[in-house]
Parts: sequence; C-alpha cells; structure tokens
Amino acid sequence: MVARTSSAEAPRRPHPLEILAALCAGSLLTLMLLSNGMMAAHTTPIFASLTAHGVGSLVAVLLLGVFWVRRPALRRGPGGRAPLWAYLGGISGALTVVVSTVVVNSSLALTGTMALGLAGQVALALIFDATGALGLERRLPRRNDLLALAAIIVGTLLIIFARGSGA
Amino acid sequence: MIWMVLLGIGSGMLVSLSRQLNGRLALSTSAMQSSFWNHLVGFVVLVPCALLAGSLWPAEAVSAHWFAWAGGAIGVVFVASGSWLIPRLGAALTGGLLVAGQMLSSVAFDLLRGVDAILWMQISGVALILLGVYLSRRG
Repeated sequence: MVARTSSAEAPRRPHPLEILAALCAGSLLTLMLLSNGMMAAHTTPIFASLTAHGVGSLVAVLLLGVFWVRRPALRRGPGGRAPLWAYLGGISGALTVVVSTVVVNSSLALTGTMALGLAGQVALALIFDATGALGLERRLPRRNDLLALAAIIVGTLLIIFARGSGA
Repeated sequence: MIWMVLLGIGSGMLVSLSRQLNGRLALSTSAMQSSFWNHLVGFVVLVPCALLAGSLWPAEAVSAHWFAWAGGAIGVVFVASGSWLIPRLGAALTGGLLVAGQMLSSVAFDLLRGVDAILWMQISGVALILLGVYLSRRG
C-alpha cells in the first residue's frame, strides 16, 4: 500500500472546509436513512428506494435549473466529455438497496450488515485510490490517512456493536 | 451464511463503486449533474424491480409521514457532496469522513431519542472517530 515506485503525486492535506463538508454530508446520510427507513417500514424497502430516487431526480432538476439560470457558463465541467459508463453510478446505488435489504433480513441483521458494508466500502475505496481506477486520480494514502481510517473504522464498529448488543 | 457475508461486503463495495463513477462523471459535468444522473438512472433501474416485487404504488404510500418523502431530497445533496469531495480527498478518505459524520450524528440522534445502547462503547467510539478526523488533517 505504501509508495515505492510510484509516479503518483504525494496527496495534499485536506482543507478543514473539506473535512467539515464531509462530516456535514455524513450527517445528511443519517437523516436520509431515517427518512428512507420510515418509508420502508411503512411500505416496502424497494418502494422506499424508488421514491427516494424519483423525488431526488425532481429535486436535482430544480436545483440544476436554479444554477443554470444564474450561471449558464457552468454547464460543462473541465474534464471533457464523460464516458458513457460514468453515467451508471445509479445502477450500483440502486443495487446497494436491494442487496443490503437481503442481508439485513438474514441472521447478520442490521449490525452485521453495517459492519460488513463498512469493510467492503473502505477496502474497495483503497484499491480505487491505489490504482486510480475509473478515471479518477491515482493517490497513495499517507501514513496518517491510514491511521485516520483505522481509528474511524474501529470507532464505527464500537458504535455499531454498542447499539446491536444494547437493544 | 458465507454468501450473506460476501453479499454484505459487496453492498459496501457497491457504495464505493457508485461514488467513484459519480465522481468521474462530475469531472466532466458538475457534482449536482452527477447526482441528478445517479438518481434518474437508479429510478429507471428500480421501476422493474418494484414491479417484480409487487406494485409501483403500494396503498400505504398515501398515508406516509411527510418526512418519509424527504429522503430523496436529502440524498441529492449527499451524492453531490460525495462527487465534490472524491477528487479532492480521494475515495478512502472521502468514505471514511462521510462514515465519521454519519456515526457522530447517529450517536447524537440515539442519545436524543433515548435508544438503548452500551454507553461506554458509544463514547469510546466517538472519541476514536474524532481522533481519526484529527489525524486526517495532520500531514
């Protein structure tokens, strides 16, 4: 995992605002899961995900409309044309819901699903970073990045299992 | 059981895969456009899934609490944030910090709502996550 023959640039330190934005977005995820969980309990998990994606599409159109009216120059980003496969993130997003619904209802329950999901997410993210997969920049994690990830993972597992065994 | 464990790991990998793809799309368009396509493509995929599972419009949907409808609007901002962050922080740190924010806020919610959990584990979990966030800032 550590840089040896790498041509990749040493990653810069994250800006405090970027860290703050990530923490705030993570809190939004908590709210989103509460909302989707409420809909899933009231109807079905598939319907909850369907409505979340439908409502999300409409809200995104509205927000894009506001951006475009105010700053028309921003319609195309700096990275040239996107390959077609870059539009397929929504498929794996939708699949996530289906797969995790199956796993939650197995003997692994919510606690096991969350712990395994965390492992899978971080492992693949590290592989993506190390290889620069799918058109994003290759970057080798600094020692402190790995330490930070380890502390966050262990802390998250403690919190997940605190809930799982307390209920 | 082993299949369920693999599926569980797979569900996490799908999260990283989707964030990586959306991040690539955002490089050519914008974070909000990548979020739009993510939701629209997901919707199109889920329509046949919902039809197979039963119906597109379960009878209970009408009586759902308003907050149950808000998840999609929140998700748009969440996905756009991920697409904005991933070229800046890399996939691993983006995922780690998003999880950190998720866990810190969910502990706050649990405490507010009086959810039963083992307190010392929650407190040490929060302390470790804060340490991790601090370390991510250090060179």
